[in-house]
Amino acid sequence: MLLLLATASTFSVCGSANSAQSDSQIRQAEFSTIVFFVVFAVLTLLISFWAARRATSSSEYLTAGSSISSGQNGLAIAGDYMSAGAFLGLSGAIYASGLDGMFLAASYLASWPIVLFLVAEPLRRLGKYSFADVLTHKLRERPIRILAGTSTIVIVSFYLVAQMVGAGELISLLFGIGYGPAVIMVGLLMIVFSTLGGMRAATWVQIIKAILMIGGSATIATLVLIRFGFNVSDLFKTAASSHPIGNKIMEIRGFAQDSVATLSLGVGILFGTAGLPHILMRFFTVSDERAARLSVFYATCLIGLFFAMLFVIGYGSIALLRGDATYANASGALFGGNNLAPIHLARAVGGNILAGFISAVAFATILAVVSGLLIAGASSAANDLVVGLSGRHLDERMRPLISEFAAIALGELGILLGLACEGQNVAYLLALATAIAASANFPLLLLAIYWDGLTTRGAIVGGTFGLISSVVLTAMGPTVWSKVLGLGPAIFPYDSPALFTVPLTLFVCWLVSIAKAEPEEDWRLAQPAVAQYAESSSA
Amino acid sequence: MLGASLDKTTEVVPLRVIGNRLGALRFQLPLVMIVSYLAMMAFLIHSARQATQTAVVASDFSPAMIALASCMAFSVALTGLFVFVRHGD
Repeated sequence: MLLLLATASTFSVCGSANSAQSDSQIRQAEFSTIVFFVVFAVLTLLISFWAARRATSSSEYLTAGSSISSGQNGLAIAGDYMSAGAFLGLSGAIYASGLDGMFLAASYLASWPIVLFLVAEPLRRLGKYSFADVLTHKLRERPIRILAGTSTIVIVSFYLVAQMVGAGELISLLFGIGYGPAVIMVGLLMIVFSTLGGMRAATWVQIIKAILMIGGSATIATLVLIRFGFNVSDLFKTAASSHPIGNKIMEIRGFAQDSVATLSLGVGILFGTAGLPHILMRFFTVSDERAARLSVFYATCLIGLFFAMLFVIGYGSIALLRGDATYANASGALFGGNNLAPIHLARAVGGNILAGFISAVAFATILAVVSGLLIAGASSAANDLVVGLSGRHLDERMRPLISEFAAIALGELGILLGLACEGQNVAYLLALATAIAASANFPLLLLAIYWDGLTTRGAIVGGTFGLISSVVLTAMGPTVWSKVLGLGPAIFPYDSPALFTVPLTLFVCWLVSIAKAEPEEDWRLAQPAVAQYAESSSA
Repeated sequence: MLGASLDKTTEVVPLRVIGNRLGALRFQLPLVMIVSYLAMMAFLIHSARQATQTAVVASDFSPAMIALASCMAFSVALTGLFVFVRHGD
């Protein structure tokens, strides 16, 4: 998952990337970067071939046979969060304006206890391939699966486009190739990798990526601290004296201006993680509930450690890069864009080899996140949309085939939209995806698990309301309405509508559920217990 | 191509966990997390507005940094607490 401000600085319009005179310094791909890139690409393909030999069933392809250990899953979940948007964007945000980016980091970390307390264990106990499995225990299957599948595909698509645009920009910048070929290369690699290897391959790439990301970040942070003799005061003083806003880099500024906007953003982040399909799928890959909650604990610790290191990297980049003509121009903007702060810092403290390694890890990060998105989208397409629209379960032979076809289709969609969105500011898509997850998926999961009174009609009306309202209000917000579409003053004054859409969705679900009871034959059980999911077939 | 019609199984398992001793805690802990997060947010906003009036000295961790770090540490601690309590179940 991903930080709004960080990803905005990472995937924003090319203007920031093209502003500096020494783009050529960045575009000349260094030998070390190419070597590491090739090594990672070959490694991911080898992993996918290895996993493909084991992916002989739906369970193995979509959930790695539920055989992932809690430690492995914790690393994989952390890997999902240690994305390029977080690594590059958060560091770049700190470099640009100080502490504001860390507010997002704290918000994302605070969302994990919510996931652990409310959804992790019930998901593992009741789900098999998608979070809709939990909903359909109490509710009518066809409409619920269609709604859940639609919501998942929408969220995955938005995430995918933002990742593809970011990948194209990053690869183009680091390796000196065109944006179009970069997007196509990443997309094809991603399709092959995800289609062949499935969830086991995606998990192992996330694990390896997480280890490399933590190792690389720890190396950079340690080298920065060594430069200052592990004296944090010296680090802060140097950074403050180097930055145009001086000591204000030590305080939160941007998020303090509008309390309601900040609160709405926080609500969206806090509850959005518990509704993101590619995060929820992670709980189906472990063996039991104990492993599910342990994996969340491990992930929370690792993500917290990662954010702490990014804090040092961000302030270290201010202290060591600003004013250095090797890395920044006279105004302080880094060559290639502020989002390249960690890479420049790696070069400053560890030389070209460390910089090349970090660049390749950033690429691996994108590949890993995208593969997870494809698997989540493919699983939902097969288990929710196809089942919901057809009204029939998929047999063991067809499920993996349909999942692979869906992964290819989603991958191709990602490539096409990535090519179409060249130069666009697509950071709002990530915010929108999080808002949908918080407004549509999370309320349904929460009520389905903890309230017996939820009816199918209430879930459908409420979930649809959450989905549409979050999309419409985000579109009418300042970023999309004014900046992206250029339609003048925004109709809705906030970028994140979650403060309004989350409680409204809960209210609509409740209101419709109590307004009209469903007949007994509509899957309502008399007791607060639900049927266990099973792939039983009947004549 | 497609298998059986959608059908409901007859085996049932308990869905909700209110039967065990962690039932109330499962709802209290999220509330604690949400309240602490909101408190952190309120402090940051208040601190930022105070900082415009007084000079901030960049020699050590600012109050905002401490608040953020505390919230992050609290998140980790709370997940650890839950796992520890549930470990015996």
